[in-house]
Formats: sequence, C-alpha cells, structure tokens
Amino acid sequence: MSFREKSAWAMAAVMALTGLFYLRLAVAVPADAPPVAQLGPLVPYVLAVSFASIVVQVALAVFNLRDARKPADERERQAIHRAGHSAGIVLAVVVVSAAGSYLVQGNGARLFQWVIGGLIISQFAGYGLQVYFFRRGV
Amino acid sequence: MGKSPPITNRVRELREANGPMSQQALADAIGVTRQTIIAIELGKYSPSLESAFRIARVFGVGVEDAFGWKG
Repeated sequence: MSFREKSAWAMAAVMALTGLFYLRLAVAVPADAPPVAQLGPLVPYVLAVSFASIVVQVALAVFNLRDARKPADERERQAIHRAGHSAGIVLAVVVVSAAGSYLVQGNGARLFQWVIGGLIISQFAGYGLQVYFFRRGV
Repeated sequence: MGKSPPITNRVRELREANGPMSQQALADAIGVTRQTIIAIELGKYSPSLESAFRIARVFGVGVEDAFGWKG
C-alpha cells in the first residue's frame, strides 16, 4: 500500500470519527437556540479534527519517512484530482438539498448544521474516493 | 473508472529480461511509486508520455517496443 493510500485511509477514518463526534454535539443543540449557540459544536470539532489530523499525519510520516518526503506521482495526482472533483459534487448536492429544506421549513439553524455536515461528508467522500481510485485505477 | 485503457505494454517482460529489475527499482528510476508500476503492468493505468519515454529509456528500447495500442 502506498503512502498516499495509507494517508487517505487514515484521513477517511479521522473524518468519519470526528464527523460522528460533531453529529453528537450538533443534535444536542436545540433547533430554536440562538444563532451563536449553533456555533458551539464547531469549536470542539475543529480542535478535534485538527489535532487528530496532525497526529495521524505525523505518525504516518515517522513510519514511512522515505515515502512521505516524495511528492505524489502522476497516477496519485490523477486519483486525488478525480476524488476532489467528486467530493465537490457531494458537497454541492448536500448544500443544495439543505437550501431546498430551508425554503420549505425556514429553519436557518438546520441549514447551518447541514452545510457544516456537508463539508465533513464531502471530505470523507474525497478520502474514500482517493482510496477507490488508488486501488481500482483512474 | 476501473476500465482498462486501450494501451498494452511489455513492461513486466522487459523488467524480467533486465536482471530481473525489481518493480521498486524501476519505480525509483522513473520517479513514480511501486504501486504505479504494478498498475501499469496490470494494464490498469496508462502512464504519461513522459513516463512512457522514461520507462523505454531505462530498458534501452523505443517507446513503441514497450507500449502498443490494443487491437
């Protein structure tokens, strides 16, 4: 398994676990809470995802020092590019769905949480698709 | 996606005839990962023109001796 694939697996796991953490925090905030309260879950989430990403990347680099220093090769760059493109589509679908939901329900707090959730989902999808393209070909 | 490109290659054959040269050694020689060499040999990935020339030069053959068009 290449360094980039290990990194994509690890980051997909980080995004999944921290995403569940965010979900747990977000559902605890009442939908009618003031807008500033909606930001509450975001601060611990950003701290958690930043810390976990740094720990994972440092650990991977320490155990794969030679490969970590090399830039992605042409096949890996193609896979990363395609995965990023698809992740953008995932984000667009979630955001447009959330906007549609806002038009019907008028709940701005839910729109906010869905947009943040969409970012997390699209990041997870991006790393997952990187693994797929690394394994199945671009 | 996952569909084999219409380009054939003799990279494994050339590698085995040259030593045999390991996949890692070939990867290092042309500046890609071993996984990319594996993907090329399995026909899952068509290298860029630059990498195709680099591979051919490693084995001292022309590009058309290392790569071909299916069919």
